Amino acid sequence: MIEIRDLYKRYHNHHGSHWVLQDINLTIPTGVSVGLLGRNGAGKSTLLRLIGGMDTPDRGVITRSSRVSWPIGLAGGFQGSMTGRQNVRFVARIHGAGAGIDEIIAQVEAFAEIGEAFDEPVKTYSSGMRSRLAFGLSLAFDFDVYLSDEATAVGDRAFKAKAQAAFQERIGKASLIMVSHGEGVLREFCEAGILLERGKARWFDDINAAIDAYHLAIDGRKSTPLVVPTSLTEAKQVLKQANREFEQIRLDYQIAGDDPARNDPDDILRWRLEDARERMLEARRYVQQFQSPAP
Amino acid sequence: MATDTLMPAPQAPGQQAARSSWRVACSVWFATFMREAISRTMADRMGWFWMIFEPLAIIAIMVSVRGLFMSGSHVSGADYVAWMVVGMMGFTLFRENMMRSIGAIEANRGLFAYRQVKPVDPVLVRCFLEGMLKSLIFLLFIVIGSLLKFELIPDHPFGVLLDWLSLWALGCGVGLTLSVAADLVPEIGKIARIMGLPLLLLSGVIIPAVYVPHQFRQYLLWNPIVHGLESMRLSFFGGYHTIDGIDMTYLWFWALGSITLGLALHMRFHDKLKAH
Repeated sequence: MIEIRDLYKRYHNHHGSHWVLQDINLTIPTGVSVGLLGRNGAGKSTLLRLIGGMDTPDRGVITRSSRVSWPIGLAGGFQGSMTGRQNVRFVARIHGAGAGIDEIIAQVEAFAEIGEAFDEPVKTYSSGMRSRLAFGLSLAFDFDVYLSDEATAVGDRAFKAKAQAAFQERIGKASLIMVSHGEGVLREFCEAGILLERGKARWFDDINAAIDAYHLAIDGRKSTPLVVPTSLTEAKQVLKQANREFEQIRLDYQIAGDDPARNDPDDILRWRLEDARERMLEARRYVQQFQSPAP
Repeated sequence: MATDTLMPAPQAPGQQAARSSWRVACSVWFATFMREAISRTMADRMGWFWMIFEPLAIIAIMVSVRGLFMSGSHVSGADYVAWMVVGMMGFTLFRENMMRSIGAIEANRGLFAYRQVKPVDPVLVRCFLEGMLKSLIFLLFIVIGSLLKFELIPDHPFGVLLDWLSLWALGCGVGLTLSVAADLVPEIGKIARIMGLPLLLLSGVIIPAVYVPHQFRQYLLWNPIVHGLESMRLSFFGGYHTIDGIDMTYLWFWALGSITLGLALHMRFHDKLKAH
């Protein structure tokens, strides 16, 4: 269980400092996977970092009564000049693996499937390779809660299936707290949701309700979930639909272009545009998945 | 102020008991030490070679310059080459501790994603590693120098050891302080790098302190490195004469003061260093 009490967080910058998170009170029960939702800059990654203990709150308490992983994501977690093997060895050592280090390294190497690159510096890796390594590394330790910052968004279809299988294996033992813009991924992995808006957090027992509330908050309307396609032709249809919606919204946005409210973060059109863009990208990923050769 | 109740670190498979903070710190230090040791000695091409050749080259240049331009090249009570080796080694011990610490936080930033690793850890580890390496090289110089018939066997080995440790402590203290300062204000790191050469000249490494005119000696004695180097030379060469006022207590005031200040700064700016 993770308890967050009266949490406040802000960052100081040149434009003064406003609260990123304000008076957050949440209890995340054991064994429930949670999706974090909110617009860009709403504080999703900040909350995840705070839960992971990478950052300290300005006020308030976070009590973790279970083993929580570091935030698994694309940025951070690896030292670029060290090879994949050295990074894994380092992490195994700080977690006190002792004699089990070689076992962990072999396990990560087998899971990540990046071949020779395992002995190359991490800074030469592609984002897909990094996420494979990050994911493999986190799975080598028995955490109760895994924190994922867009980590599952990359990687090809074969790896995604493998990652999902690895998580399915741990359901009941481990849960997930994830930040993702992919609604399909959130629906797939999470049961509950947290919506972050203007520094406040709202808890939803059902991830679908959270996604609906997210759209209501941003667009002022509910959005139907993107249909998860089952074949290539269906995926192409979904993509076509998403493209059309995106073009329409972009046109609206351009017509309103001279409006001075355009750069206002509360500008609904802008958020609708970003949302449409994300839907389009998600649809494009589905098409790519079907086009890439199956394992 | 945040009161974040940290859970003990997650366990590797097979280890279920929660580790104490001390055990966690020890594993972090060990892991960081192994990482630093590998990158320090193996990453550069010919890393080991340069570590030995660099001080050797500086000493050779200094000795030959002195032989060419200054006749009567002797320091009262000590062989000039040996005198130079001792001074140069002591000074590089201090300088490398200071310089390596400045880059330590930046070089390990990627690893702060793990909550077990604190910004002070790589700095402490680098200071330790640097001291071990420099001690090893000094011993190597003593052995090889003695075989070449330079007077490099210390007359008071225990005194030399104490002075060596004092210079090390001073380097660690200044390194700890500057590592925080240079990370928060990058200009400080640049200034510290520029100060390397003037410090070399002002610490009596090349020019003996007794050559400094009498009225300026009191200012020379403000520099704690002078106290460390001259004290080490006094222990090394039984008949050596130097300026009055060499006092190891003064150096230790500096060393303990800067270590305390450095650790305090690390505690105060822990979050800022980590989140930077």
